[in-house]
Amino acid sequence: MFLQQVINGLTIGSVYALIALGYSMVYGILELINFAHGEIYMLGAYLGIIFLAFFTAIGLTAYNLPLALFLTLILSVVFCASYGFTIEKVAYKPLRNAPRLSPLISAIGVSIFLQNYVMLTQGATDKVFPHLFGASGFQFVSVRMTYLQLVIILTSVVLMVALRLFVRNTKMGKAMRAVAQDKTMASLVGVNVDTVISVTFIIGSGLAAVAGLMVAMYYGLVNYFIGYIAGIKAFTAAVLGGIGSIRGAVFGGILLGLVESLGGSYISSEYKDAYAFIILIIVLLVKPGGLFGRAELEKV
Amino acid sequence: MLELIDIHTFYGPVEALRGVTFEVRQGEVVCLIGNNGAGKSTALMTISGIMRPAAGDIFFEGISIKGVSPHRILRMGISQVPEGRRIFPKLTVRENLEMGAYSGRGNAASLLEKVYTLFPVLKERHKQAGGTLSGGEQQMLAIGRALMSSPKLLLLDEPSLGLAPIVTSKIFRTIREINREGVTVLLVEQNARAALKLSERGYVLENGSVSLHGRGEDLLNNELVRKAYLGE
Ligand SMILES: Nc1ncnc2c1ncn2[C@@H]1O[C@H](COP(=O)(O)OP(=O)(O)OP(=O)(O)O)[C@@H](O)[C@H]1O
Ligand SMILES: [Mg+2]
Repeated sequence: MFLQQVINGLTIGSVYALIALGYSMVYGILELINFAHGEIYMLGAYLGIIFLAFFTAIGLTAYNLPLALFLTLILSVVFCASYGFTIEKVAYKPLRNAPRLSPLISAIGVSIFLQNYVMLTQGATDKVFPHLFGASGFQFVSVRMTYLQLVIILTSVVLMVALRLFVRNTKMGKAMRAVAQDKTMASLVGVNVDTVISVTFIIGSGLAAVAGLMVAMYYGLVNYFIGYIAGIKAFTAAVLGGIGSIRGAVFGGILLGLVESLGGSYISSEYKDAYAFIILIIVLLVKPGGLFGRAELEKV
Repeated sequence: MLELIDIHTFYGPVEALRGVTFEVRQGEVVCLIGNNGAGKSTALMTISGIMRPAAGDIFFEGISIKGVSPHRILRMGISQVPEGRRIFPKLTVRENLEMGAYSGRGNAASLLEKVYTLFPVLKERHKQAGGTLSGGEQQMLAIGRALMSSPKLLLLDEPSLGLAPIVTSKIFRTIREINREGVTVLLVEQNARAALKLSERGYVLENGSVSLHGRGEDLLNNELVRKAYLGE
């Protein structure tokens, strides 16, 4: 029972972590809480359904399921990345020198716009993501893990390790860290700050797209509102770990997943959505900067 | 090499530069002195493209760089060591230097060797986070970082600020050495005496415009300069 809940918690926690990374990276660079980020995740889920339906219609899904899924993933990521890129250019960049509240309000506007855009074009009712894997999985000792859970966890781990290597070792990754620390100085050494900001949005949105697609497969249902709850939870995870910190987003996400899953089964599942915030309050009281963060949270 | 013509720069409603005109010729060390708030840092930030002048023009090697983005200006060969050093605190010393070479001007490996020869302490500390260095070491790192882009023109904003006299004289010696190797230098300093001794020419900035200029030696002997900036 306990281990089973740990597996479930890790699965959903790694999804939270993927979304939290987007919040954290954008905050780290722009000190902006990108409220539209949850909507990118929601779009990722919808785009997954749309592209998979297309590949099913042309017969690819029946012919080669892994290839169809892989192409669905790539296309969702590319589309979400371009949404993220465009949102930054249209809704945030013009406000870069405006008072701090302005881009925040713009972000909320984008979020509401995207929710309604999807509701109008896709309908207000739940959409079903086709059951592709059934419940097949494997058993070890008393724990059952579905293949889908394994795929979700592995995919997340691979993406997070890749992101870390990218930020640590590549030229663009170093430029991102430099911009996060001092934008003026970064441009004085020749970094095109606009490009770095765009790359940050592209990466964050791509990760959210992967998360959206995986959750759509996991729960099988999608609606235009899923970005709201997931966004709030991932944002909580980011703050929990210390917003602006990549490591923090990963640990915050996983911690949150575990707390929800264990709290849901040992205490009460009624309050599942509240545990996140209880933990958040405790962490902020004890360590205001988050688990891995700097203590500069008053900026929020 | 560098020419500012009647430059006006604003912070919102505040006019920090009110028609600044000066030039720096190839190979020179030129200093800019003036009281707090005179507009010295604003002048450097305007040259580097961080601040956009509202009027006037700036030419670098005959090309107007007014309104050009900072990263393009750096690529043209103007590098700045800003006031307060602005080391990337969480990058290592080595990574700070690598950021200096971001533009890809010059050969990063040989530039790094050169910087390490100039400031051996940076080599010793290459794995340490930039923010943990002492003030003097940070100043060396900031100069080293600026040299990593192999600049034609180096802008230095108060490199001696807050440093012990020994470190200050080491920094000034290094500036002379850098200049001898062919880098033109525009130096902003509170320490007017040391700066004027080092410079071929100097400009005095007062309330956002140039009130006086001349050869370094002449300014050192100038009555007004002695009273206002050399504390005599
Ligand atoms: N970010 C800013 N916002 C508003 N006004 C500013 C800003 N930065 C500088 N100023 C104003 O512009 C004027 C020139 O400032 P600047 O920093 O260029 O002076 P400085 O000569 O470098 O002084 P210091 O010797 O103290 O470094 C000052 O009156 C200052 O108050
Ligand atoms: Mg200054």
